Amino acid sequence: MIEVRHLTKRYGPVTAVDDVSFRVEKGEILGFLGPNGAGKTTTMRIVTGYIPATDGTATVAGFNVFTHPLEAKRRTGYLPETPPLYPEMTVREYLTFVARIKLGKTTKTERTAKVEAAMKRTHVDDAAGKHCAKLSKGYRQRVGIAQAILHDPEVLVLDEPTAGLDPKQIIETRDLIRGLAGSHTIVLSTHILPEVEQTCQRVVIINKGRVVAIDTPESLTHQLKGAASLYVQLEGDGAAAAALSAIPGVHAVKEADRHERFVGYEIEVEPTRDVRRDLARTIVNKGWGLLELRPMRVGLEEIFLELTEEDAATNADGPAPSAPEDKPHV
Amino acid sequence: MSDALRNVGAIAGKELRSYFVSPMAWVMMGLFALIFAYFYLLHVSAFVEESLRSSMSQFGGPSQAVNVNMRLIRPLLSNASVIILFLLPMVTMRTYAEEKRSGTVELLLTSPLTDVEIVIGKFLGAIGLYGALLGVTLIYIGLLFVYGRPEALPVLSGYVGLFLLGSCFISMGLFISSTTKNQMVAGTATFVFSLLFWIIGWLSDVAWSWLAPIVSYLSVTQHFDDFGKGIIDTKHLVFYLSFIAFWLFLTLKSVDSERWRG
Repeated sequence: MIEVRHLTKRYGPVTAVDDVSFRVEKGEILGFLGPNGAGKTTTMRIVTGYIPATDGTATVAGFNVFTHPLEAKRRTGYLPETPPLYPEMTVREYLTFVARIKLGKTTKTERTAKVEAAMKRTHVDDAAGKHCAKLSKGYRQRVGIAQAILHDPEVLVLDEPTAGLDPKQIIETRDLIRGLAGSHTIVLSTHILPEVEQTCQRVVIINKGRVVAIDTPESLTHQLKGAASLYVQLEGDGAAAAALSAIPGVHAVKEADRHERFVGYEIEVEPTRDVRRDLARTIVNKGWGLLELRPMRVGLEEIFLELTEEDAATNADGPAPSAPEDKPHV
Repeated sequence: MSDALRNVGAIAGKELRSYFVSPMAWVMMGLFALIFAYFYLLHVSAFVEESLRSSMSQFGGPSQAVNVNMRLIRPLLSNASVIILFLLPMVTMRTYAEEKRSGTVELLLTSPLTDVEIVIGKFLGAIGLYGALLGVTLIYIGLLFVYGRPEALPVLSGYVGLFLLGSCFISMGLFISSTTKNQMVAGTATFVFSLLFWIIGWLSDVAWSWLAPIVSYLSVTQHFDDFGKGIIDTKHLVFYLSFIAFWLFLTLKSVDSERWRG
């Protein structure tokens, strides 16, 4: 539905987006993840036809956004980083204006119906008569989404849809986005990792304008740590480390935490071998109380840091490999 | 084609609406009415005095009626043109600058609209407000028709001239607004450039002979004179229309290049 090939955007000597390629299938939600300034917004602006690329192509629903901008734009809904609202208009007036410029040839009744439907879907109908200037951040964001979905676009591009919202609004917005998937193909950008894990089927991790990984959140989580780890908590005398590391398949045992008699261990094991039964048997045989045994999940967060830092390391010849502003804000 | 017209209409309507829902349009119309009333008063009383004097004149032949068109309406319209020189930069300064500052330009540029539709729409929106401003003055001129017997045609041509003159300032203001995010900068620069095209003709009195025809041709006011006299000359029409087209074209180029520079 969206196909981006070798997209490059340069501003003078600065390369904001460097040879980015990805595809989004119909009905899919793709997360665009990266630190601030990684090139997420620039890529989205190119895909939506707001700015042209220096090199490469972007296709939306089969239409090249550079050569057939009107066809592509008719099929794209876009929520920029700041919702593009006119402060002096009421929500209904604003959406009616958007309907006029986006829907093309329609009757007034059709436009009104679309406006009402969009307001219902984004739960802003109770603020329909309010001026956009007086809306809270959450409402502004939702009116921004209403504006993006108003013309039933096949493709939705959402630039940080949950930025600046409170936790309740974030959950509502995520639910809204998940509800839109299926009927729409969605690309959303964020620098908040759990958001990707919770909403997206596939993730593109981008850093310094380059794609460093594309995969599902799960398989990114799986593939990245070569060895798997388990977490074990037991009640005992604190001398279990030696006994546990003697078990075949266990590479290393590290004490992770200790509260009086309760000790937690991080156990690195061979990924191909399931040692959980042996672990449990050993612990029980020794007379220690087994309180917890679970695989340790590597969060996207760690993967993200790993990938973006790896990237910085390979670029060590460049200036300042990891400046503080490259750290993700989580 | 109808697509384009509809889009232009949507943009122009939105522009006009935003002028009139904010106090700006109303304040501007009020101030314009006030200053115009002031000039009106000055000219009418001067005119009355002059007609009295001329009707009582004892010397030299029969007394002659003073021409209301030449002695009253023409200078009045000329005054109006000075007022718009000050007011129109305030109309156009926000057109693009404000959209860029607030980010709404992203909505316009990612909607299925062409740049031409947006530029023309914005231009027509500002023209609409300008039309409303001129409409205010019609009340005063209308009074002259009620109490006197001015010729209608010179009044009409004067308004055509005034309208074109203002459209020139608007097209230039639109371009300047498209180059900045800052309304104040846009407004000030528009005023200065409008003034420049206003006074550039004065140079013809002092400039070297080869420059004189050029500067007087470029002067927006010299083309206005004939309209005030009741003459609609194609050469003036051509000047004004190409002046407007030139700035609208530059606006288009500016919007386009802005995209490339991000």
